[in-house]
Amino acid sequence: MALFYCQNVPESREADRQALEEACGETMALFPMPCSGRVEPVHLLRALEEFADAAYVITCPQGACRNFEGNSRAMKRMERTKSIIESIGLERERVGLIVCSKENPKSLAALAQEILEDISSLGPSPALGPVGGN
Amino acid sequence: MITGEQKPVEEIRQMIAPYKRILVLGCGSCVAECSAGGEKETAMLASALRMAARMNNEDVTIEEMTLDRQCVMQFVIQLDKVIDPYDAVLSLGCGAGVQAVAEMYPEVPIIPGLNTEFLGETKAQGEWAETCLGCGDCMLYHFGGICPLARCSKQILNGPCGGSVDGRCEVNPDIPCAWQLIIDRLDKFGGLDRLEDIYPPKDWSKKQGGGPRKIIREDQQK
Repeated sequence: MALFYCQNVPESREADRQALEEACGETMALFPMPCSGRVEPVHLLRALEEFADAAYVITCPQGACRNFEGNSRAMKRMERTKSIIESIGLERERVGLIVCSKENPKSLAALAQEILEDISSLGPSPALGPVGGN
Repeated sequence: MITGEQKPVEEIRQMIAPYKRILVLGCGSCVAECSAGGEKETAMLASALRMAARMNNEDVTIEEMTLDRQCVMQFVIQLDKVIDPYDAVLSLGCGAGVQAVAEMYPEVPIIPGLNTEFLGETKAQGEWAETCLGCGDCMLYHFGGICPLARCSKQILNGPCGGSVDGRCEVNPDIPCAWQLIIDRLDKFGGLDRLEDIYPPKDWSKKQGGGPRKIIREDQQK
């Protein structure tokens, strides 16, 4: 899985990222972002195309974005990405977005684990794999 | 600028189906501004098409590049160095761009990936609206800078029609009444007297009456 996350998410400092990456091995590629509003559909599509069975984004809570509207932009871009992958016959659930809760904050590691459990039923992505050298 | 929207992926896939090596070609000008055919959109479409090909076990190669402009020969000529290996080019330029590339490379099928829409203005982030029909005989002076041909649903030159409600068009309440805008604007700079004139029906011969239009400027030519 490719996981893009806002660095405003609790317990998402560099040491936390390294620990999570070590614990997950190749299961997860982590991409810290200064703001989830920086994530574009092309980032998620490239991840799905090149190495990931699923690509997810974790944003800071609604109303807590340091750049005011980064997380709401990320939500809109996620919808666009979902419609693109749906148009090629890939399950919409292969991309997704989790908004951190302000009332019940969870660590990056806990959120990543929840996403992994949610997508476990999807299985390997049919969009991955070498056909025709693409 | 010229606006456009990407065609549905399914339609694009049908058009590129006969080809094995495809170049997805973006354009960095107008269609980049309206988020339809710039570098980002080109990368997204190419990525989606590659994944679709894999999922359907199609043995194709899809690559991408973006020109600064597809409608100017001096930019299109950059394709000389790269176009040879490709069976087809999927252009994300406007209709003019598609045809300019096709004219330069007559042996290569150039496939349109966009539906070219209209001459428009960026009203807000992610919002574009038609404001000019390119009629060839601009009348904006008479109407305070607001074109009734492009912006009035009835294209009335001697308005208003009387059907608008609260400044909204009766045909499409989502848009403002162009004639309300014209009158408000003329009033602001004391130009309402321009509406004393009666305007005859538009002479459309300057738009398409003589076939495709051309502008020649000898001072700009070699």
